[in-house]
Amino acid sequence: MSTTPTLLEVEEVGAPTSGPPTSTQRILTRLVHDKAAVLCLAFLLIVVLMAAFAPLITKLSGWGPYEFDSSAVNSALGGVPHGSLGGISGEHWFGVEPQNGRDLFARIVYGARVSITIALSATVLTGILGVVLGMLAGFYRGWVDQLISRVMDFLMAFPALIFMIAILSSLPAGNRPVLLVLVISAFGWPYLARVIRGQTMTLANREFVEAARASGAKDLALVFREILPNLRSSIIVMSTLAVPGYIGTEAGLSFLGVGVTPPTASWGQMISSSVSWYSVDPMFFAIPGAFLFLTVLSLTVLGDKIRSVIDAGEAA
Amino acid sequence: MKRSTMLAGLLLSGSLALTACSGNATDAAKGNSAGPGGPAATGGTVQVLANAGFSHLDPVRGFDGGVNNFYRLIYRTLTTQGAAPGADGTKIVPDLATDTGKPSDGGKTWTFTLKDGVAFETGAPITSADVKFGVSRAWDPEIGIGSPYAKQIIAAPASYQGPYKTGELPSIETPDAKTVVFHLKKPYADFGSVVAQNTFVPVPKGSGAGTELDSKPIASGPYKVSAYKPGASLTLVRNDKWDVKTDSVRAAKPDGFQWTFGLDPATIDERMIAGQGTDANAIAGTIQAASVARIQTPQLKQRTLSGLGGCTTYMGLNTTKKPLDDVRVRQAINLAVNKQTVRDAVGGSTLADLATSIQPPTIVGRTDYNPYPSQDGKGDVEAARKLLTEAGHAGGFTFTLDTRAQPKMQAMAVAIQQALEPLKIAVKINIIDTSTYYEVIGTPSQQHDAAITGWCPDWPSGATFLPPLFDGRNITAKGNSNLAQLNDPGVNKKIDEIAAMKDVTAANTAYGELDQQIMKLAPMVPLLYEKVLMVVGSNIAGAYLHDGFSGGIDLVSVGLTDAGK
Repeated sequence: MSTTPTLLEVEEVGAPTSGPPTSTQRILTRLVHDKAAVLCLAFLLIVVLMAAFAPLITKLSGWGPYEFDSSAVNSALGGVPHGSLGGISGEHWFGVEPQNGRDLFARIVYGARVSITIALSATVLTGILGVVLGMLAGFYRGWVDQLISRVMDFLMAFPALIFMIAILSSLPAGNRPVLLVLVISAFGWPYLARVIRGQTMTLANREFVEAARASGAKDLALVFREILPNLRSSIIVMSTLAVPGYIGTEAGLSFLGVGVTPPTASWGQMISSSVSWYSVDPMFFAIPGAFLFLTVLSLTVLGDKIRSVIDAGEAA
Repeated sequence: MKRSTMLAGLLLSGSLALTACSGNATDAAKGNSAGPGGPAATGGTVQVLANAGFSHLDPVRGFDGGVNNFYRLIYRTLTTQGAAPGADGTKIVPDLATDTGKPSDGGKTWTFTLKDGVAFETGAPITSADVKFGVSRAWDPEIGIGSPYAKQIIAAPASYQGPYKTGELPSIETPDAKTVVFHLKKPYADFGSVVAQNTFVPVPKGSGAGTELDSKPIASGPYKVSAYKPGASLTLVRNDKWDVKTDSVRAAKPDGFQWTFGLDPATIDERMIAGQGTDANAIAGTIQAASVARIQTPQLKQRTLSGLGGCTTYMGLNTTKKPLDDVRVRQAINLAVNKQTVRDAVGGSTLADLATSIQPPTIVGRTDYNPYPSQDGKGDVEAARKLLTEAGHAGGFTFTLDTRAQPKMQAMAVAIQQALEPLKIAVKINIIDTSTYYEVIGTPSQQHDAAITGWCPDWPSGATFLPPLFDGRNITAKGNSNLAQLNDPGVNKKIDEIAAMKDVTAANTAYGELDQQIMKLAPMVPLLYEKVLMVVGSNIAGAYLHDGFSGGIDLVSVGLTDAGK
């Protein structure tokens, strides 16, 4: 939004004929011409499809995520999978979990569900919290800003991981995924809110906002019709970059044993239980590890690309 | 009343792992010829690599397979278990006393005579007054948290609170320095086994108040503590006041022992398998399931010891909760549980046997039978479904299974959950923190429908297995071990009948019958008899698994093949 808006333009913000320069279409066009971004998008699409159609996919593969297959593990050798590469076969595409023979493919697919759901829910929640509180602080300043900023400082100074472990282990089991989302979001929103607050402060002093105010627009209209559309690019970039962080946090908490409870499949939990098997069944670690790594990498690279596209758009 | 699954047992036997070392063992691979069962040479220092430290060094406080085994190195009791593999290891033999006790007054009074030449590490002779003082410490409410048998069996005024608070215990008499006489509440035929408990360790009169003995024990056995850092290390050196002529049980070949605590189980496995340097002289606790596949080479197999842990891992079914109050439902669950998958969850056939009866095979007088058979222990879903339909639960139900926040326990819970799924029984797994687990499941108001736990006998007799778990009159508001809350008149009556028996052998056989009688009521699902599987260093000798100490390596017999290494 580098052009000086006229009164006319201000009233037309949001109208399809004169969309903002950082339009979704332009971002997408730029991205599909970038090989790395396309690869990342393709991988993420696979993961999201896996998560969405998990029950269908496991019907095809023939094994559910909780189904035991005693014949696939060698009881006499401590439950190590039969066959090389952790029991990879036509029956079990990614091999099986040691000791119980649960199908790794099914657990990866269902694990994707947990990771994606938790990370996306946390992103939406932190997005809403961060944007609303950030704009409130930036727009109204004064005591509202003081209050919100101090809460943000407090939360950001907090040793979040330690506190999350403490909270999650002391809370009753309940609905773990919801708890995870709430806890992750509670510590995640200040990072977005702080950026939003700063940008709102600059935007609130810009001529087009002054103009809208002079023409009698109410606070609500100013915030949602003048300021919010101009924050869109920041929100997109910050959120895309936050998703991999939340996936990592969920996996980390599950790894530490305070995430989703068994028998629910989770990548972090799989990695955690694979630790003692690293020497006899390295695939048990490699497969969930690779999925977690690639998902986080794809999201990070994609977020980076979106940012550079948007930055380029703003510079133009 | 030793409550311990093999899981706890695993940690404990981890603390039994010995590493032998005396300086630079560069060519450690030699000495393979003798193997762990060979004769031990005199001398050298045995080192122990362990995960968890000892609960207590005070014999009246500590009470689990790990410390019981360790206590024999530094303490002596009136009688003790034998030092040999198999059934000979669980036979009660005289230790400080000249025999296993003389009953009189119909088994209500027991007299023991002390051997000559027995002494504390201070050089002071062990007198009957010291034995009496040691036993009476068990009544102290703060100290007497270990073996409960002395308190349960020996008569004492209701207000008696131990020697430090109340004074002398009138029901133990010491007519002279060598003779000690116990007066019991009621006749007890097997009192000779009771005095092998750690509560019967002599303590010099007047000492050992508070936590004194936990940091500096007063040794009566072949070794004494020279340095102890709780949670880090423990060093034992020879107690030169111990006279081998007075002790027919302890070989005590090494010159000392050195424990290292706080090692990661995976690290211990790595070190034991590699057997490099001083670790060549090592023995270790039960290995992790993930290491089983790695010890299949002939060289490692030669260094492997395996045997039953002597405990039963089971799922208690709370008979007061609906629909588990219906015996048919409990029987159906017994039929349906797939013990194969439960076994795989703890590490497969090398780390556990499938359990069929309440008492494990190491118990004297046990009958081998299977009241709820299925092919290969995989569960008989059809028979179970029939019973459930009869009971009116064909549509299934939901129950909550308490389990510890430990990967192995959770894996067992998941295996049970999976096995009951075809019957539409939804198992809700309730994970409880390890530190509060026993407190929660031992409190009837807090326990749920079922719980996975284990039980080890205090000496290999049904007396320490069936009454604590199934006597309906022992259900307490806290610290309850009758998880099933079974209060069956028939079972209670049989328990009383057996307790009144004068003949220990007949009583043990009767416990075998009681086992079957209880399993008809299906108050629990016997899951596994877990095994110990240990890799020891190549220079270890005289090592065997002792049935009386949860399958740990008998510490008083172990030593080095070559003491100079």
